[in-house]
Amino acid sequence: MDSLDLQHVRARHARLGKKIGQGGFYLLCILAAICVLGGAAMVYVHIHYGYSVVGSGLLVLMPALWWRFYLRDVPPTDATFMGRISSHCLTLLKPDMKYSPASLWEAIRSDSQASFITQHLLLQSGSMQGCFSEDPVALASILTDAVRIANGYDSKTIEVGYLAAALLESSPVVADMLKHMKATPNDIVPVRDWLHRLLVVLHAGPQQFGGIGRDWASGFTPHLNQFGHNLSASIERHGGHFSALMDSPGVRDMKTAFSQGAATIALIGPDGIGKTSHAYALAQSVLAEDQDPVLQHKQIIELDAAAIISAARQPGQLEYILVNLFNEAIHAGNIMLFFDDAQLFFHTGPGSFDATQILLPALQGGVIQLIFAMTPHDYEGLRASNMAFAGLLTPVVLRERPEPEILAVLADTATQYEARNNMLIPYEAIKTAYTLSGRYEADMAYPGKAIRLLEQSLPHATQGIVTMESVEAAIEQTRGVKAGAAAPVEADELLHLEERIHERMINQTRAVQVVSDALRRARAGVANPKRPIGSFLFLGPTGVGKTELAKAIAAVYFKDETNMIRLDMSEYQQEVDVSRILSDGQHESKSLIFNIRQHPFSVVLLDEIEKAHPNILNLLLQMLDEGQLTDTSGRTVSFKDAVIIATSNAGADRIRQHIEQGEELEQFESALTDELINSGQFKPELLNRFDEIVLFRPLKPEELAQVVRLMLGEVNKTLANQNISVELSDSAVMRIVTVGNDPRLGARPMRRALQRAVENTIAGKILRHEINPGDHVTLDAPDLSL
Amino acid sequence: MFMLDLFGWWYGTGWTGVLRATKRRFSGVAQAFSIQALTHTLFAPWKRIITSPGASINDKLRALGDNLISRLVGFTIRFFVLLAAMLSFIGLTIIGVLELIVWPLLPLLAIALIVKGLL
Repeated sequence: MDSLDLQHVRARHARLGKKIGQGGFYLLCILAAICVLGGAAMVYVHIHYGYSVVGSGLLVLMPALWWRFYLRDVPPTDATFMGRISSHCLTLLKPDMKYSPASLWEAIRSDSQASFITQHLLLQSGSMQGCFSEDPVALASILTDAVRIANGYDSKTIEVGYLAAALLESSPVVADMLKHMKATPNDIVPVRDWLHRLLVVLHAGPQQFGGIGRDWASGFTPHLNQFGHNLSASIERHGGHFSALMDSPGVRDMKTAFSQGAATIALIGPDGIGKTSHAYALAQSVLAEDQDPVLQHKQIIELDAAAIISAARQPGQLEYILVNLFNEAIHAGNIMLFFDDAQLFFHTGPGSFDATQILLPALQGGVIQLIFAMTPHDYEGLRASNMAFAGLLTPVVLRERPEPEILAVLADTATQYEARNNMLIPYEAIKTAYTLSGRYEADMAYPGKAIRLLEQSLPHATQGIVTMESVEAAIEQTRGVKAGAAAPVEADELLHLEERIHERMINQTRAVQVVSDALRRARAGVANPKRPIGSFLFLGPTGVGKTELAKAIAAVYFKDETNMIRLDMSEYQQEVDVSRILSDGQHESKSLIFNIRQHPFSVVLLDEIEKAHPNILNLLLQMLDEGQLTDTSGRTVSFKDAVIIATSNAGADRIRQHIEQGEELEQFESALTDELINSGQFKPELLNRFDEIVLFRPLKPEELAQVVRLMLGEVNKTLANQNISVELSDSAVMRIVTVGNDPRLGARPMRRALQRAVENTIAGKILRHEINPGDHVTLDAPDLSL
Repeated sequence: MFMLDLFGWWYGTGWTGVLRATKRRFSGVAQAFSIQALTHTLFAPWKRIITSPGASINDKLRALGDNLISRLVGFTIRFFVLLAAMLSFIGLTIIGVLELIVWPLLPLLAIALIVKGLL
């Protein structure tokens, strides 16, 4: 059983070391020097006591040396808690006190390591007195936990931070506090891991990368210095920050490939996965560790394509510079060339050039080690265009690391941002950056996309703290999506969504209700985040408000009616139309994929869905199920922030019949769905994918009258430019309904009828000067020119 | 207790610590002077400055001469650096040995000097 024995010899020595301190050490040294020199002078002038003074000086020197080499930081002695607890921690504790978890927390909570943990978990360390047990007996299990944590890190010393973490992890009250802050008790572990990595770097001290004579056996590289960036020299100058990557599979694979005789490596990975960081990590690994002879003392130089191109002003100069650079690298003997974004060297175009013919002899000869960083897409392109060249490359494929590793990379990056910007980046912000970048940044891989989002969040920090809200604000600003919690005004709008929609839609209460519920679920964060916000199949006769409801959602929920991507599926009846849907937008700007990538926060309206080719319907299954599609370039695009609405007139006659028989929609909903499946109009797997199948009923004359009044509002908006307003009497409205009503076309002919009746009448009156600006006109049935 | 602890450390981990410190200094000097790299490349041309031999005997002889000069320059610089390293090692060895000898004697010497002064 571990115990806190503050009379332990290490505890006494740690306290003594603190008492002496740096000042005491200097005092002892000065005193010793004065005694020794003064005593020697006394002996020189034959004062016999001088020997005693010199002897005293030597005695004074002994405690100074004791402090310098031992007391300053009492090293661990054995595997017990008291043998391993850090000297600094022991100085924080009072020798005559019987500690309980609560009093131990009070003693250590202000320490920088404990503060690191509480601050990054956004816990108020000063108001946590009630979180820990007052019972001294309960301390033993916490000390055991601290030992376990230190063992987990293979650390000889039990640091204050480990003890603080053990205390926090043991407290159910802290667990509750974290839960209320949208964090979890499990978050303590990655934060203490983060602290541990920081302590390892701090304790490591300056690194040695060779010595004065290391590079004397290699040649001069003036051109490479001009057109390249020496990654190894950069690490030597600024220190290596890539220790975490040095043991990664990517770096290991590159070292193994070089050791086994490969001269050229294709470092393949999507944007954001860290290809450049892997090259740096390899450079640091080569500098820091004893290497295979083929890697020993190698310097990695990254060639700058832009600098090379800008220096080549005459034809042939580009080739001359490249050949020069290669010869220099080969002659130097210790150079490994790194081509970041290697695609720039493989094809001719703005900012790039085709160097494959120059590179090929070097590759075939294997006289120099080369690393080409490229995306999988670029690698496949190279294989297709120049198989001979691609065949000489040894591929090393970088894959996305598991979530905990990516979060660790993010946390380490956050440390740099914190130091540079004097900010605090709590763990919740890091987790949010991970989650939101995963959801909204489909074009990049981890950790790059999460690091980019975290960086974009820095300007949104409040009072120097980058919070979850800062990250949400960053993604909302850059991607135009709603990631944060609904503000009070927006929450109120959501709660009254039906009323807002009904301001522009007549009846269809059930449809409006179903859609509003789905939008509220999504905004409150209780919907499945891996699927679209909502997916609906609107069934009903034409002109009953299906498209209007879609527009209303775009206007009310997405704040603009233009936030709607509308596809008439009758234009996608052929098999070849699949590629039009999936086009990445380079040749087909109307493609669904291109549009959703530009406007991820939209209503996707698929009109007349039943007319689409079956293969397109199969694509929709994936879109509805997984919330994403893959374009023709192999990139995925997310539909998770879109509302998918498919409309169809299928079953319209049956709906009409049921309604005419006096039935309500709810009564025949499922029967109608069965009918649609049995008649082969829809496959059951497609219907099952929609969140809701919403039936729209034909509009009654009185509802059509309301539609007319709504439409009249639009006419008045137009006339407002001329300061004229129009009103229709009830008889006029009913006259328009009578003329415009067509049971097959619903409210659609109503707009034409209104145009004929009102707009033509008003136009005539304006031209005849019967109406002047500022007039309010009331039209009765006989006034209408129908 | 203070003196007991001090002397306990002095003749225990303190003394062995002197040995460890000497080892660290040796390793630091070996690193700083790149002993291993310089030994392996002692006769290599200075910064790989070499001349490719031409076709004629004259060119070949000139290249041989040039390359010999480059190697000589390389050898001279490396030799003197290695010599400096060697001197540093000798110095460190002397200091280390003295430390190891003086360390246990220091308390005794201090007491002896105090007593001598008082007598």
